[in-house]
Order: sequence, then structure tokens, then C-alpha cells
Amino acid sequence: MIRFKEFTYRYPNQVNPALDSINLGIPDGQFLGVVGPNGAGKSTLCYALAGFVPHFFHGSLAGGVYIGKLDVQQSTLGELAGEVGLVFQNPFNQISGARFTVREEIAFGLENLGLVRKEIERRIEEALEIIGLEEVANRSPFALSGGQQQRVAIASILAMQPRLLVLDEPTSQLDPQSTQEVFRILEKLARRGGTTVVLVEHKLEWLASFVDRVIVLSEGRVVLDGKPIKILADEELKKIGVGQTQYSLAATAVKKKNLVPKSKSLPVTLKQAQSFFK
Amino acid sequence: MRGNSLFVPGDSGLHRLHPLTKLILSLFFLVLAATLPSLPWLLTAFVLLLPLAIWGGLLRPLLKSSLAVIIPFVISLSIIQGFFTPGETQLFKLGDFVFTLEGWLAGLKVASQLLLAISGALLMMLSTRPDQLMLALTNAGLPGSLAYIVLTAIQIFPRFQERAQVILEAQQARGLEINVNIFKRIRLLVPLLGPLVLSSIVDVEERAMALEARAFSRAGKKTSLLVLKDSGWQRTTRWCLVLLMIALIGFRVWQVFV
Repeated sequence: MIRFKEFTYRYPNQVNPALDSINLGIPDGQFLGVVGPNGAGKSTLCYALAGFVPHFFHGSLAGGVYIGKLDVQQSTLGELAGEVGLVFQNPFNQISGARFTVREEIAFGLENLGLVRKEIERRIEEALEIIGLEEVANRSPFALSGGQQQRVAIASILAMQPRLLVLDEPTSQLDPQSTQEVFRILEKLARRGGTTVVLVEHKLEWLASFVDRVIVLSEGRVVLDGKPIKILADEELKKIGVGQTQYSLAATAVKKKNLVPKSKSLPVTLKQAQSFFK
Repeated sequence: MRGNSLFVPGDSGLHRLHPLTKLILSLFFLVLAATLPSLPWLLTAFVLLLPLAIWGGLLRPLLKSSLAVIIPFVISLSIIQGFFTPGETQLFKLGDFVFTLEGWLAGLKVASQLLLAISGALLMMLSTRPDQLMLALTNAGLPGSLAYIVLTAIQIFPRFQERAQVILEAQQARGLEINVNIFKRIRLLVPLLGPLVLSSIVDVEERAMALEARAFSRAGKKTSLLVLKDSGWQRTTRWCLVLLMIALIGFRVWQVFV
């Protein structure tokens, strides 16, 4: 179980808190989607989970974040690195630059964890296979496309086998097919592997069909929290500035013309949309 | 292997030597260059280095790189030493300036010292993967962060050049004239350096975090995927070379002071 207890955090020299009295419990193995407009505190939430808040950014904070029995504030970044894996948005900056092939790049984190060579090799092969990077395993990570680099970044963290995997818009440079693959992998990790996955993502349609739960952040607070079907259909989303799924937008347009009863709830997945428009 | 590294991939015996052996070998040639007394000695040492390059299949790149560096020095040192070192054997005269054989040979000696030192260093750099060298040095006690800096420098600088090129092209697309005289060109650096430096500073923070996420600062022993093969005869060779270097330096110092 991962817990935020009355967690409030303010970046140095900022008046408004980036996260404001967050109370949140994430059960082990849950696949949680995080949405919210720019500046809502999504990235800060990720940093708080991985310990960058407060160990990297400083600033003032109250309350606490706990990963199982681990108190994030009392642990060092080095200790947290094996427990929490954080994937950032920009793939280029996540390539260590100290290794010359994709295979060695994935090994970098494992070497830092001090794993024995056999285990490193096993995990590399596993990560390459899961993420689908076998064909470029011996190429320089800098010679890859943005999408491939993004996969390398995910594979590098995945291989470290963290209990909690946090991803801050990891599909920004991926095409729809690769995005779907990443979602499938994350779903599999959560369902079968018991890894807790926290995913910040703008692509609402994907969230709707894959995650267990969605929270909506606005101005540093959790304003909506629940099943994706319920949350993503909420008319509030538009006011908050998150937008809606393509299906909801189409359904709203149809509702306006009184073609369907007003009481009918908005669809957020393809399946729901099919039955809505029948 | 992209980047600024000189490494030429290969599977020769030289390539397979332990990086420390090659590092000490290149230091040995540096010491030879500094201590050998005369031109014939230096050239002999250089000729003895060539079989090692042939063993590594690196004769061509070695000669190409070392001669490219050394030829301008041969020319300039010959001219300067030839005209300005007094000597008894006059080779020719240019106006009042006398070109002496002794001066010319002194110039050639300095140039051949450079040639030997550079070839020794090239022998190591051409045949050793930078990450293996750094791993060997880390195992020998070099701080891991220092090894990291060296390795990223090799890979990140070319990316920097690419980014500079992209910025320049973007500015050109918006009407920046770059084919102008040298003075106007200096002013062109402003629209190039601004975005380059700013974006790099922003990157540094994210890079630092990404490194932390990969357990870079974790306490405890690190392991390595790479395997460095060492052997008894290599260890012996390294110690012998170190002792030889100490002897050479000692002999030279003794010569100077006694």
C-alpha cells in the first residue's frame, strides 16, 4: 500500500503549494491514472513518490508519503531507486550517456544496484523482450528514434523491478500502436506482477480502457477519484481543464441535439460508445 | 560506436589486452619519449612500437593520426631550431640567417619525442573501448562519478553539435544570414548560444534526476556487465613496465644532477 498522509508541498520561492493536503491510498498492484491540467501538480506527485520531493527540490513540506513501511522522507534517493522506478517525459535526458549500447544502457541501473552479472543479463533479456527492443539491443541508444529512446527509458527502469512504477507522460513520443503496447505492458505488470503503477497521461481514451482507477488533480488537490468509466464521463472534467475523450465529445454533441435522453451517461471507451450510439 | 571516441572495433590480441596493460604501455612510451637521449634512440623506439600496431591491425589509423599531428610540428620545429640554434655545420643561408645541421637535428628530436608519445597514446585509444578503460580505472580506485563524466563527454558532445546545428538551421529558416564576413559572424553566436546554453541548463536538472532514478548515488558496491579479462603475464608485464619507467626516470634525473 502506498499512502499520502496530509501531504502538502511548496517549491522554494513559491507562494502556492504544488500539492495541497493530499490524502491518497494506492493498494499494491493497482494501475492508477493521473490526469489534470498543466500546473495541477501531476509531476510533483510523481517526484514525491520517488523522493525527488524533498530530496532533490527541497522547499517546505508537511505530512508524509509512505511506500509500504518505507517513509520517503527518511530514505535516501539511492535507497528509493530500487523501490520506486520513475520514467520521465523526455527520453533523451534519461539516457545515461555512460553506456554505448541499448543492452548496456539497461544494465546501467542494475550495475548501480549491485546485482550479480548473471542476474543483470537475465533481466536485460527480459526487459528487451517485454518492451520489444531486441532488434536494436546492440545499437547506440543515441542512434534511435524518439519513440525507441522512450522505450529504452521504460525498459531501463522496468529492469530494476521496482515495487512502484511511476511514469510521467511516457508515451509523449509514441505512435498510437506503441502507446497501446506500453499500456498493455503496464496493465500486465500490475495485474500479474503485482507492481503498483502510477501513470500520468493525457491520452484519456487509453486511460479509460486500461487503468483501474483515475484521480484528477487541480491546483494541487485531488478533486475527483474513482473508476475511470465514472470519472472520465464526469462533466466536471471540462471545467477543470482536462478535456474529454473523443467518445464523450461526440456523445455530448448528440445530446445537445436531443437525439438521446439527457439522463444517459457519457461513454468513455469504444465499447460504451458503440452501445451509446445504437 | 558513435561519439568522439577514437576506438576502432576489432578482435585482435591488442584489443583483448586488459585496459590497464595498454594504459601503462602508453605511459611507458611517454616516459621513453621524455628520457631517451637522442634522435636514433627515439626513432628506434618508434619502430619498435609499430609491430604492436600491426598486431592490433591498427597500423593505418595509427600512422594517419600521428603523422597528421606530427608533420606540422616537424616543419615548424625544423625551421625554428634550424635557424636559431647555433652550430658549426651550415647547411644553407637565407640572407643573414644560417640554417645549421645541429639545429635541424634538435628540432627533429623534439618532433620525434612528440611522435613517440602520441603514437603510444594512440595505440591505447585506438584499441580500447572507453567504457572498458573507465571500468578498469574504477576498479583500480578511480571515483565512479569521474568515470561517468569522461564517458558522457565522449557521447554528449556530438549531440551538442547536432543541437547547435538544428538551432542554427532554425534561425536560418527565420531569415538569419550566416554567410557574412567574420566580424558579423561573431555576432551570430548570440542567437545560437542563447538557446543552446538555456536548453542545456534545463536539461541538467532532468538528467540529474534521471541518473538518481537509476540508483546512481546508491551506497554500496556496484557491479558491472562488462567483463575485463586479466592474466598473470599481463600483471607481470605491467609491473615490469612500471619498474622500467622508474629506472628510466631515475637514470635521467641522475644524469642531470651528477
